[in-house]
Amino acid sequence: MDKKSLRKSSFPVKASALIMGSGQLMYKQWVKGLLYLLVFAATVVYMILMGAEDIVGFFTLGTEEADPWLGTSGDDSVIMLLRGLLAFFIIIAFFAVHFSNIRDILEIDKKVRAGKPVPGFVKSVSIFMDRKFYIVALILPVAGVLVFNILPIVFMILIAFTNYGGDTVPPKLVDWIGFGNFVKILSLSDIKSTFFKILAWNILWAVLSTFINYFGGLFLALLLNKKCVKGKAFWRAFPILAYAVPGFITMLAFKFMFSYGGPINYYITSAGGSAVGFLDIDAGIKAKLIGLFVNAWISIPTSMLLATGILSNMNTDLYEAASIDGASKWKQFIKITLPFVIFSTTPVLITSFIGNFNNFGIFYFLRGGLYMDGYFLASDTDLLINWLYNLSIDNNYYGIGAAVSLIIFIITSIFSLTVYVRSSAYRREDTFR
Amino acid sequence: MKIKKRFGKNSIIDGVVTHIILIAVCFVFFFPVLWLIMASFSKGGSIYDFDGFFPGSFSFNGYSRLFTDTTMYDYPNWLKNTLFIAVCSSIIGTVLVILTAYTISRFQFRSKKMLMKTALILNMFPGFMGMTAVYLLMVNFGLINKLWGLILIYSAGAPMGYLVQKGYFDTISNSIYEAARIDGAGNMKVFTKITLPLSKPIIVYTALTQFAWPWSDFILPNLLLKNKDMWTVAVGLMHLDETQFTRFAAGAIFIAVPIVILYFALSRFLVTGVSAGAVKE
Repeated sequence: MDKKSLRKSSFPVKASALIMGSGQLMYKQWVKGLLYLLVFAATVVYMILMGAEDIVGFFTLGTEEADPWLGTSGDDSVIMLLRGLLAFFIIIAFFAVHFSNIRDILEIDKKVRAGKPVPGFVKSVSIFMDRKFYIVALILPVAGVLVFNILPIVFMILIAFTNYGGDTVPPKLVDWIGFGNFVKILSLSDIKSTFFKILAWNILWAVLSTFINYFGGLFLALLLNKKCVKGKAFWRAFPILAYAVPGFITMLAFKFMFSYGGPINYYITSAGGSAVGFLDIDAGIKAKLIGLFVNAWISIPTSMLLATGILSNMNTDLYEAASIDGASKWKQFIKITLPFVIFSTTPVLITSFIGNFNNFGIFYFLRGGLYMDGYFLASDTDLLINWLYNLSIDNNYYGIGAAVSLIIFIITSIFSLTVYVRSSAYRREDTFR
Repeated sequence: MKIKKRFGKNSIIDGVVTHIILIAVCFVFFFPVLWLIMASFSKGGSIYDFDGFFPGSFSFNGYSRLFTDTTMYDYPNWLKNTLFIAVCSSIIGTVLVILTAYTISRFQFRSKKMLMKTALILNMFPGFMGMTAVYLLMVNFGLINKLWGLILIYSAGAPMGYLVQKGYFDTISNSIYEAARIDGAGNMKVFTKITLPLSKPIIVYTALTQFAWPWSDFILPNLLLKNKDMWTVAVGLMHLDETQFTRFAAGAIFIAVPIVILYFALSRFLVTGVSAGAVKE
């Protein structure tokens, strides 16, 4: 809606553009007009009473610290941050409603000028419900995602730029510190060395486990796909069983299996050896290998199911042609099966890589809460996501924790966007199908 | 003739090797589960009473103690909490997912592309990412130790996984809808009278998967339920040590069985569910 058409428009339209709902009232749209007017009044009252203050508070994060001696309550910086955020959301929502208000009054205006009857409130609601069914249907899901998915992410991004955490938690005042947390991560010696050690292991872990799980699943699917295997449903039942058992049960069970009193150590001690601390603080590579194994046990069935689905869609003519040409089984696999499967599973490969990159459960359950020398609140098997948990949930380093999660965000998004863009470019070339 | 014979011999070796590998693989997948089942029937409670993988003697004690000896570890209460969270999240989550998937599949509107792209990008990041923030938000909203807090998070996150359901709605023929519209049915009526009856299988599938997630999740309950009488089964089982191994095994088997049955009942959906991301854009 540009200025020119507004200047040319009738008086009620101008009135509505200034005071929401007033134009509708002039056209005797009582209920609708009153509702718009109510929203307008509520927003104005909110802005005067709280909104303006909340927005200022968002930038200052509080100026007055609580003083137990004087009995002053002071400012709660985190609440102020949240309320500031809420104020921004309300302003955006207000403009959305205002936009719909202008559209509505223009439509009424047009109808009145054309001499058509203007529908009453009940009727216009039912028209809206029908014609704009998608808005009615999507409003709840979108609101839910907004509050429980997007708001936390925005909040976390904001926290990453404050000194919230450690000793600086309300009632103490929190401040904006710009890139201070990132500078800390990349410069303070123990945090920095921990970060790079964990990052290196995290990348190695993600690559290795994605590779193992993917090809393990593919191998299993190919094995089950062989003509000589009878009773496929029976064989398939075992991996599906493993897939169906809730992950935390599997991980806890494996922790018991490798514990001091567990069966593995029982056999070692009864064979005359001394008990091994497989998951102890000095376990080193053993704990990492066990982690890879447990993760494979949990994830291979999923990728087997996926590969089975893909293989069943595959055109078998290619194989016949290939074997007539004298290609060996191995060559057929490398030249036909593998490209096809990888091509059709690229998006899943991305999700599984990211899932493994951020695999919180495995080492949380197997080792959980071990802090090693040479690491800042972490151990040698911890991934960034575990470190983030140790930092922010267990030790209240919220600001640094949020900065770490932003870094994880950036790494995973760069990775997935690159692969995604490259794979869709690849797709456009139509090398397949 | 000669070639055929050699081929036959090779294929026998091939078959034997294949089956040996298969048996080994199935053993690896089955044995830990079998071990847990055996352990749940162990007479002694501690892992130190075991002869390696095998319990010294068998009994049903593990299960009966789970429900009678509740002073330290209140399993019935954990189960009640888990069930409450899972059922509520399943109902609310299913409604939201079905609405989202149906709308995205059926309607063309301006912000649709943007919504789908947003969902795609948000899906790239595991929900776990904003965990710190969720925790802080819940602390500030006073939703710590409230079962409803978890239900809200589970059901609000559900619409993000709408692709499987959208795929289902995409297959419903357009002509049915057009016929109904010509008969003067509004969008609401079309949805309730035509879409819903046609989509019973996908509703059941959605409800069950939405149930299975909170049923076996440990991250959120562990984060948000600090009070002992608010614990879910997952949080409770995490607090059992080696001396409570039989109790752990019995408790684990008890909640794994319904999920396992559910997965086998759904197994024909599984492949489509898993590969949904691969097929759809």
